[in-house]
Amino acid sequence: MSDLRIIDIEKRYQAVQPKNDASFMLRPVRLSIREGEFFSLLGPSGCGKTTLLKLVAGLLKADGGEIWVGDKNLTNVPPESRQFAMVFQQSLLFPHKTIEDNVAFGLKMQKVGKKQRLKAAHDMLEHVGLNEFGSRFPDELSGGQQQRVALARALVANPRVLLMDEPFSALDPGLREEMRELLSRIQKDFRVTVLFVTHDRDEAFALSDRIAVMSEGQLRQVGSARELYERPETTAVASFLGLRNILSGALKNGRFVSSDGMIEADVAKQLADGDYFMVIRPEAIKAAEDDQLGHVPVKGIVEEMKYGRGMYSLKVNTGNQLLECVVTTPQAEETAVGEPISLLVDMQKVWFLKE
Amino acid sequence: MKKHPQLLSLFAFIALIIFVVVPFVPLILSSVSFSWRWPDVLPESWSFRAWEYVLNDGRTWQAVGISLWIALIVTAVNILLALPAANALVRYSVRGRWLFEAIIFAPIIIPPFISVMGIHLTFLRLGLTETVLGVVLAHIAPTLPYMFRAVMISYQTLSADWEDQARMLGARALPRFFHVVLPHLLPGILAGASLSVLISLSQYLITFIIGAGQVVTLPILLFPFVSGGDPGIASAYSLLYAAIAIAALVGMDAALKRYYQLNKAPQDSGKGVKP
Repeated sequence: MSDLRIIDIEKRYQAVQPKNDASFMLRPVRLSIREGEFFSLLGPSGCGKTTLLKLVAGLLKADGGEIWVGDKNLTNVPPESRQFAMVFQQSLLFPHKTIEDNVAFGLKMQKVGKKQRLKAAHDMLEHVGLNEFGSRFPDELSGGQQQRVALARALVANPRVLLMDEPFSALDPGLREEMRELLSRIQKDFRVTVLFVTHDRDEAFALSDRIAVMSEGQLRQVGSARELYERPETTAVASFLGLRNILSGALKNGRFVSSDGMIEADVAKQLADGDYFMVIRPEAIKAAEDDQLGHVPVKGIVEEMKYGRGMYSLKVNTGNQLLECVVTTPQAEETAVGEPISLLVDMQKVWFLKE
Repeated sequence: MKKHPQLLSLFAFIALIIFVVVPFVPLILSSVSFSWRWPDVLPESWSFRAWEYVLNDGRTWQAVGISLWIALIVTAVNILLALPAANALVRYSVRGRWLFEAIIFAPIIIPPFISVMGIHLTFLRLGLTETVLGVVLAHIAPTLPYMFRAVMISYQTLSADWEDQARMLGARALPRFFHVVLPHLLPGILAGASLSVLISLSQYLITFIIGAGQVVTLPILLFPFVSGGDPGIASAYSLLYAAIAIAALVGMDAALKRYYQLNKAPQDSGKGVKP
């Protein structure tokens, strides 16, 4: 097995500073990415995810830690010899070379014969659906086509790991989805290990086997999309994943009381007494009058209604707290902005956090 | 409103005639006149004496050869010096960068005569005076700033991402330079080379002092005729000089176009060969 292992890799700011917390661009990161896995680094801009990617690539020099693939230590191997490939935000196709020559470039660097490498380039272009474009020049292609060529060029030399730095963020939304599907298919066809950097959580959720959430130069949590969304470890992760219903409060004898007094309910899980944050996913709230078992009623006033993809998302003011929830179109039609509304919170689906 | 650009281009055309074409008219007339004295508007008699002298004199073609040879070597050396210098000053955070740039650009501001006086003494001790090598070395000072500036600006527009991309595709330093960096820099290098060739061709004082009359370039040959000799022959030399300068420029431009065509050529042949 040739897993990609990142062992305590770290990066400090170049300026010579006394060793304090602020001098880290990237705090030591330990990750193990399985062969053939699609792994995403997700975080807001400036969180260090691109730094980590460039450290793995070798384009930045780490201040500590090691990179392994299988039983090979690549820490001191220069990037051109690591047999990694990388796709950048811009396609970076060499403008004076044809598409074919661009795709074959990696093989040319490995001194593969001309006939063989052009054939490989041709096959790879077919995989990305651009086999008729081989003799054109990059400026004759659209942005999406250029990025597909960049993908083909990265894969042609059969890399150990494919690194991708927000490759679709410069494309428009429709094209982005198309590219995601293409990438997903190709990744499965070639069984290549992918390390993918993005700030778009939909993109990370749609593509990844596992996701690492990063912020402020630190790895916050690693897990599958569902694990992260349903069981975030910190409020920082929860709020980055779009979970905004976070209530602080205290748990005593199995009963949670939020500090604003909005919710008071028995908790199904076994948790020690103490201060907690309760995370309520928008899907855990429904608009209903009558009490149901395991549900807690909440009343509030609708502040905002937005239509999106077949559902309405509502912001409901419950006194001190804005609750986000989603309701079906018929339910939304019965209410309006400024109207009172009754909600039920499913206590089975809430999640408790310590920090 | 539509007449405005036409008016502007008319002015530009008139300016072109006055400043570029008109100065050549007396030069041409003078070169084919027998004697042309004030207050005659046109020469009183015609002759190709000056041209016969200039074109038949073996020294002329030798001087043309040496001038071009020196310009060529100077330009080649400039490229070799300017590339690493521009690379270092643009890519790395060099301490005291302004100092290095000031030293390289100094010959544009300080009259070359000043430095050449010092260089002359040193070259005398080293035995480099009266040699082509010495003249080449002395020509580098006034030409390098232009080459450096052109290459530096090309480097500034080349994002490091391109080289990173090439590295990630397995390209080592040399292939990276030839496949990625050089094609991007080429127009800048050519602009710098044109200036370098022209400035080297036009050096009189430096060539005169370092070459001490033994390295005879075209300006060295031309100068005595201008300062009191034969204006007819001086005119003929001036025209020859202008022709060579223009030929050098056009030649280099054509070379660049040819380079780009050669690189584009596979496209046309590729289309037919496709299965």
